[in-house]
Amino acid sequence: MIRRFFIFAIAGLLSARAAEEVPSPSGASPLAWNAIDHSPRSLALELARGNGSEGYQVHDGFWSGTLAKGDPMLLEVYLFAGNDYRFSAANLDAYSQVSLSIFDSWGYPAGQEFTGNSSCATAGISVYRSGRYFIRLIMREGDNADICMIYSYK
Amino acid sequence: MVIPSLAPASEDQLTPAQMSNASFLETVSLPTPSEFFLALGKQCQPNWSKLVRQSVPVVTADRERIALQLGILTADGFIAIEAQDGQSVKNSARDILLLAKKLNVGQQIVARSQSISDFADAGKWSRLREEFDAMQNDIRLSLLEQKDSPLVVLAMAGSWVRQLDLASNLLTTDDSAFSSGLLVQPEIASRILQRVDNLPDASKKHPVVRQLQEGLNTTSTLMAASSSHLPPSDVQTLATTMSAITAAASEPDSKK
Repeated sequence: MIRRFFIFAIAGLLSARAAEEVPSPSGASPLAWNAIDHSPRSLALELARGNGSEGYQVHDGFWSGTLAKGDPMLLEVYLFAGNDYRFSAANLDAYSQVSLSIFDSWGYPAGQEFTGNSSCATAGISVYRSGRYFIRLIMREGDNADICMIYSYK
Repeated sequence: MVIPSLAPASEDQLTPAQMSNASFLETVSLPTPSEFFLALGKQCQPNWSKLVRQSVPVVTADRERIALQLGILTADGFIAIEAQDGQSVKNSARDILLLAKKLNVGQQIVARSQSISDFADAGKWSRLREEFDAMQNDIRLSLLEQKDSPLVVLAMAGSWVRQLDLASNLLTTDDSAFSSGLLVQPEIASRILQRVDNLPDASKKHPVVRQLQEGLNTTSTLMAASSSHLPPSDVQTLATTMSAITAAASEPDSKK
């Protein structure tokens, strides 16, 4: 199952590369593509787009910022019961290691993390209780790297 | 290549202090109407076609009311997408463009509006959700660029009000339709109320903004008092409150 997810993610990356020549109608949107753009945001978007074959849609919004090693970023999100969510984070430092975790309203770990000891990370959750959740991003290796996080849902 | 592996969820637990200091970013932390309607659809498979509201052209020069209406129409667009009603989707996009022009941000969504029309003709519902989502963000970013942040707050509130308007009214007509837990969103209610409370006095003087503020106060209080579900009387209060705000925002000037 997990291997299939990453195969789809990689297939998504490849198909996304092929689609790069199609310009976006608007450059202002967070969902906008840019063929020349090689940024944490475009990488995170590629990762999220890889979930498309499983029916996931990308939420048009993203978090981006600079993370220092061991200094986590915690973001509040609101998720609905019945929906599945996947969070994707990426940065450009190939030697870095990013970890992405989901916590429920009470602060307990929730969902599943897909880790690859790499500069990209994904976590997913099937939500049984609507409410506030928390997404934690940690730079395990590397330092002061710009990173971007996007989520998709179905 | 490193083969990714499935890891168990993190073993540590967040502290209350960490949770209260978590970042809140409107474009990520607030769910889109699409996410809400998706969850609603899974729980009760509503007859979306019957829930589509015919677009109401707004005759007003009141920027606050236009912003509120923009949010409501955006939610209406998502409802039309769920109903797979291409013409209503196009009508919503047309009216949104009309209102956006009145707020001087129409030019920024012309291309988006055209692609919505194309996708609606082609019946590409999934792409339409993303385009509507992106159009909402384009308007938001454009309003922020022209220093109209109060209007961003009102558009955001309008969208949320319309989502709850639809869902709470659905539940009042059939209380077994879905779990009222979907309506209990105390954190979102208090965030939006906080934003509305912080609007400049000039904005808060508008009757429709005052009505919104009062309605959000009511909503926030009843949601905060609820653990995970709303009793039928609270669902009724929510439905009445949200419908009244939706109607007030859609009312032409001549009737005021």
